[in-house]
Amino acid sequence: MTNPLIQIDDEVREMTDEEYAEFMANNPDWVAAEKPTTKTTTK
Amino acid sequence: MATTTNYSWTTPDNTAYVKDGASAIRTLGSSVDTTLFTALGGAYPGLRLIKKQTIGTGVTSVNVTGVFSATYDAYKIVISGGVGSINANIGLRLGGNTTGYYAGGQNVVYSTAAASLYSDNNVALWTRAGYATTDIISMSVELVNPFLSKFTTIQHAFIQGATANSSGQGSGFHNVASSFTDFTIIAAAGALTGGTIYVYGYGAS
Repeated sequence: MTNPLIQIDDEVREMTDEEYAEFMANNPDWVAAEKPTTKTTTK
Repeated sequence: MATTTNYSWTTPDNTAYVKDGASAIRTLGSSVDTTLFTALGGAYPGLRLIKKQTIGTGVTSVNVTGVFSATYDAYKIVISGGVGSINANIGLRLGGNTTGYYAGGQNVVYSTAAASLYSDNNVALWTRAGYATTDIISMSVELVNPFLSKFTTIQHAFIQGATANSSGQGSGFHNVASSFTDFTIIAAAGALTGGTIYVYGYGAS
């Protein structure tokens, strides 16, 4: 299990456990990232 | 004494003494400075690009540092391009401050023209500063006073780029009289990929 990614200017890194706990405390409704839905077309 | 064609800046004659060169350059430089200041309307006129930040891949938040300063009082933040992993609001926070954000806004549903209202009432960030869908990220924000030790105000569009959703705008303030130099955008759900954050300053002098 990995923590979500955060970006500070050009640096992208995983949140530390402390940052993740603080993030969830301030964003209680946040849900983990999902892969973009694959679009399908019908004729 | 020779002068330039358009602004009559003084330049040395061909026969002028070399020993007077420093003075001649100083005079010419001062003339250029004065003309530019007048013509442009100040030392930092108009809307100036302060920072251009590319959004990484799959990031939950982006902290943009070193953008607010004493040079400007008001700022414009725009995001172009990019996508979200799912459709979600994008919040905006000043520095690391997680309290005292207030806003009110209204949206109109595309399909029905029905109106909906929302508010941020002393929450941890402005919750609807932007919106991400799997097709586009939308953000167009104006901030006033973020660097001053005064309340910061915000005006923002809230454009949901999805046919089933809505569009509108909001405004509000940060009930904290502190100075900030950076901001963070935060996806309310999922993550952001790509796109560019542009930060502009409104010329103040």
